Amino acid sequence: MGFQGDFFQLLKERGYQFNIPAPNIGEPGHTAQPSLTQGTTVLALKYRDGVLVAGDRRATAGNTVMYDRTDKVLEIDRYCVMAIAGVPATAFEMARVLEHSFKYFRRSQLQDLSFEGKLRALSKLLKENAPAALAGTGAVVPVFAGYDPQQGCGKIYFHDILGAEFEGVDHAMSGSGSPTIRGILHYLNRWSGQPLSTLAEEEATIIILRLLTSAAEFDSATGGVNFEANLYPIIKRITEKGVETIPAEHLKTLYTSKVAQYV
Amino acid sequence: MYEEPYRWVEAVGNRREYLDDQFRQGSPLVAVSYVDGIVLVTTSHGTPKLYEIYDRIGLGGMGHPADLEKLRFSILDMAHVEGFQRSPGDVNGSRLIKYGLAPVIKQAFEEIFKAPYITKLLLADMGNLPNQDRYFTVDYDGTFEEHHDMAVLGASTSIQDTMRTYLKSQVTPVASTFQAVLEVAVRAWALGALSQSQDNENTDASSSETPDKDQSSESFSEEQILEHLKTVLTEKTLECAVLERNIPGSSKYRTVDQQELHSLLPLLSQTTN
Repeated sequence: MGFQGDFFQLLKERGYQFNIPAPNIGEPGHTAQPSLTQGTTVLALKYRDGVLVAGDRRATAGNTVMYDRTDKVLEIDRYCVMAIAGVPATAFEMARVLEHSFKYFRRSQLQDLSFEGKLRALSKLLKENAPAALAGTGAVVPVFAGYDPQQGCGKIYFHDILGAEFEGVDHAMSGSGSPTIRGILHYLNRWSGQPLSTLAEEEATIIILRLLTSAAEFDSATGGVNFEANLYPIIKRITEKGVETIPAEHLKTLYTSKVAQYV
Repeated sequence: MYEEPYRWVEAVGNRREYLDDQFRQGSPLVAVSYVDGIVLVTTSHGTPKLYEIYDRIGLGGMGHPADLEKLRFSILDMAHVEGFQRSPGDVNGSRLIKYGLAPVIKQAFEEIFKAPYITKLLLADMGNLPNQDRYFTVDYDGTFEEHHDMAVLGASTSIQDTMRTYLKSQVTPVASTFQAVLEVAVRAWALGALSQSQDNENTDASSSETPDKDQSSESFSEEQILEHLKTVLTEKTLECAVLERNIPGSSKYRTVDQQELHSLLPLLSQTTN
């Protein structure tokens, strides 16, 4: 049991149920459709020193704005974050399971879980969650990013709702606003004359603020920047020093000087 | 044959004798609060004896490594399930020891047909301020004690008293820096180790007589303590872990590596030469 360092297994042995199966899935008359677009925009991109991960702060239910201060870029441990799109209840629970799983592994096995091991843990949770995702009650489409201290580089992965993982070589995004920015990022990376991976932190941050503002322009479920309410996206940098949040004050300065004037 | 009460008492008595004997060669353990955290010090032969249990909880032990591992896993499970199902703030050393480990250890000790745990444990639970730090020690029979400011493990009660008296005379937790408190902790450790080896010599020399406990411990000079430390460290590694109140992130436990130890403790560099 514990000697494997598997916290999720331990939880199950103690009677914990991660996923309550949807009651009527597969039965005739079950009409709920899996919703594949999730109201949000989160993205990760590799820049010169590591990875930047960002997310807007709006949470929606249908046409209603539920909350404008959500943190969708969740720190799982010192070196990795999960940016979430999808059903928040499931996503936050996944983040909690992961956070405890990684700590439990490190403390019990006296070694850090490898980056691949962490990715695998997330895939496993998504797979467990597949019934709820397909029933339309618990789909989560995360972007998982981090710095791999063993290999000395930043890494980005994105997932589908069933748990398949794909590596984002330069960038990855998720949520209903992501189609808007996907094309822009591809264009910038390819033809702007400055590939994303060569950008300094400030330049990359400006691009992210512009992208999220663009996403909010075309997607009502993305919050973007709310200047009047002093609300800025959450942007975290992950480098060899670990995960750090870029202060909102700094985002405000960049937004005022480099983003607002072009809108 | 153990149905008669007298036989049972006798068997438990034998068990105490056997267990006391098991710890005679063990490495003592010292934990002390300082303004920014808690320092834990012991020595080992490679396998670590200091462990991270939870965000603000560290564990150290004496005794058989396999027993130590078994108990460590059970306390890890308790802490993590609790921290997940409720909240990390609900995990505390007091409950882990009193309702978790101590009853298990006591039961194993008194079931005389089964093997007892050959362990003594020390758990350090860091608060937001030095005066909120709590220490719990559990003996091989399940007896637990709660301490403030500092705690120690040693082969016998009298050795533990000697170490604690020494620590109390040297540290004021609210005022001490990491480096200062580390040095005192290492000296207290060496005092404990020296007292133990003295006791062992006395016992060996006069195995029929009861060793005079107070004669050995109190009277070592600083030179003798350092000398003993140097001798021990030719064979064993000094091990140090620290719980740090003010580092970012939820996990506050950190192992201090050998390089940092040497730079903080000039007396170590003298020993390696």
